[in-house]
Amino acid sequence: MKGKMLLTLISGFIISIIYFSLPLLIDATEEPKTFLTHSGAVIQTSGDVLDPLYVASTVEFDPMEYLREFNYGRVSQLPDGTTLREFTIIAEDDKVMEVSPGVFYNVWTFNGTVPGPTIRATEGDLVRIKFINNGTKSHTMHFHGIHPAEMDGVFEPVGPGGGQFTYEFTAGPVGVHPYHCHVMPLEEHIVHGLYGVYIVDPKEKRPAADEMVMVLNGLDTDFDTENNFYAANTIPFYYQHHPIQINTNELIRVYVVNMVEFDPINNLHLHGTLYHYYPTGTDTVPSFYTDMITLSQTERGIMEFKYEYPGKYLFHAHKVEFSEKGWIGMFLVKEKLDQKSQSGIEYGT
Amino acid sequence: MELSNKPSKAKLIASGVIPFAFVILLVAYIFGPGSDFLELGVPLPEITMEKVDFVYSEIIVSVRNTGPIPVEIVMADVNDRIQPAAIEPDRFLERYETAVIRIPFDWNEAQPYIIGLTVGDGTRFEKEIEAAALALEPNFELIGFFAIIGIYVGIIPIMIGLLWLPFIRKIGKNKYHFFLALTAGLLLFLGIDSVEEALKVSEESLAGSFNGALLVATVIVLSFLGLYYSAEKLVKKTESSRMTKPVAIALMIAIGIGLHNFGEGLAIGAAVGLGSIAFSTFLIVGFALHNTTEGIAIAAPMSRGKTMVGKLAGLGMIAGAPAIFGAWVGGFVYSPFAAVVFLSIGAGAIFQVIITILRWVREEGDKNLSSAAVASGFAVGMLIMYLTSIFV
Repeated sequence: MKGKMLLTLISGFIISIIYFSLPLLIDATEEPKTFLTHSGAVIQTSGDVLDPLYVASTVEFDPMEYLREFNYGRVSQLPDGTTLREFTIIAEDDKVMEVSPGVFYNVWTFNGTVPGPTIRATEGDLVRIKFINNGTKSHTMHFHGIHPAEMDGVFEPVGPGGGQFTYEFTAGPVGVHPYHCHVMPLEEHIVHGLYGVYIVDPKEKRPAADEMVMVLNGLDTDFDTENNFYAANTIPFYYQHHPIQINTNELIRVYVVNMVEFDPINNLHLHGTLYHYYPTGTDTVPSFYTDMITLSQTERGIMEFKYEYPGKYLFHAHKVEFSEKGWIGMFLVKEKLDQKSQSGIEYGT
Repeated sequence: MELSNKPSKAKLIASGVIPFAFVILLVAYIFGPGSDFLELGVPLPEITMEKVDFVYSEIIVSVRNTGPIPVEIVMADVNDRIQPAAIEPDRFLERYETAVIRIPFDWNEAQPYIIGLTVGDGTRFEKEIEAAALALEPNFELIGFFAIIGIYVGIIPIMIGLLWLPFIRKIGKNKYHFFLALTAGLLLFLGIDSVEEALKVSEESLAGSFNGALLVATVIVLSFLGLYYSAEKLVKKTESSRMTKPVAIALMIAIGIGLHNFGEGLAIGAAVGLGSIAFSTFLIVGFALHNTTEGIAIAAPMSRGKTMVGKLAGLGMIAGAPAIFGAWVGGFVYSPFAAVVFLSIGAGAIFQVIITILRWVREEGDKNLSSAAVASGFAVGMLIMYLTSIFV
């Protein structure tokens, strides 16, 4: 009797050992993984790599696509000849996005992305935005710029679950401006992602250039009123691992908007060349020729530059803490000998 | 008689089992059909970094999932700056599962660091290291170093303390009671000291889910009861064996002090290992002075028997040698959980010894514990310990 029981116990024990150790044995046959440290050393591990390195195929929001995507709206002419640009913007606040590999964060979005779509018009155009709030809280759209008080998106909260409002104003002044939700608590609505860029082009076009938008933002994933991540266009380290390709001797124009909360300043330092800086983009004469500009909340401007030599050049916050938490990127400059084909990208459809 | 006995036995068993059956039913319901009922509230992830080791160009963090839900560890940082790292065996941790995170990092000796880990929902946990120091590798040199420290703070002071034996032997009954009470006072101080240390370690390095303070209390009571029971047995046995009652009591004291010194060695070894201590000669002198008093505690009961140098030396070893083992364990395989448990066992053992001594004084001293000799002895014991503790 006793012997039998002992036998059952022992066999049960052996089976359970095999059961529990089998997955380990399977793991052991896997190839060791490797990763690079900041200083370039190659490290091997039998386990998982913890590296905020996004592969293009897994990212939900593509910063490369956002970079050069400008929305000109549905265009029509009014009887008096004014160009009417109509947009539809839908706000949501229940989306959970993988903002960095493995880190899931509840983003509040305009048209599904952080930042929201870049809205672009020419000075004097009539901009009409049909705003629909599909979120669970009240939201609005508040544009920086010149418009009537009732179009300011502050005192007319748009209710959740399908509330609507139509913002209408004449585009102006010329420059680059942010738009964002202006519902209290304001900081919360902004840091969750309800913001975007609004560009007003001058009637006389700026010189042709390779144009891009960079929203400098931060993510407070643990809600301690300190940013855990910083980035240009939301995804930390993205442009470092996926360099932005540009050409030598081609005019590059970057519309930069600082939307970082909590930290009073942010900045942009460019390697290998200097940029002409137009604060807020409101003037046609640059104020600075520099490689370092400091920006406070919603401070923005236009940076224009060219690269003389091909190669890899970093751009990043020279508040190095921010760059070590993701606000760092790279330009991959390719040699372009043919000066004439410097047509750039046409805009203003 | 036979007939009526059997069913009543079955009834007895049934009445014992039925409540258990209901408990099982209750648990099964909550995990099964009733699980929706508990979906109120939001379970929050929690991880605890139990150990941080600094090795050549790398920081190694032992982490445990101490929260109510499984977690995925997704990022590591040093001083709030994101670092590429590796996690072994993998980044998914079930409840109470542990993993090791390797962060390649050129750290600087003696500099403070904050290690941060971020889990899947973006929550960041951190652990502060006061001063980075190269993790100790168990080599012969270090084993020897810890052994010397253990001998210096454990064995030698106790042996010196034992030399008071001839003196205690020659004094009168009242003065003898004074010394016994003094011993109890010394021990009470050591016991409180152990409890404080155990609570401190549990506060600093043990996850909340271990219920640090209750763990300390439970282990103290268990250790106390265990020794109380075996001490009774031992003293009873002395009546029939070669061991005399004073020797039995001295043995119990030596065991209690030995357990305490194991904890003390653990603390010293861990402090060296964690780099949170600069091991000055001054500190060792402090410990040595402090521990000399422990020798008196063993000598006091022994003074009423025959002088047995061999036994005395043996008791000294029992009390002192654990400091060496403690230093090895603390320096090479430190775990905060083990430290809390050992410190608590030491505290429980010491409280038991105090009871034994006081009982003996009471028996010897005409059922009186309130004599001037006893009261002043107790007080002086506490005071001596407090004053010598300032040096540590």
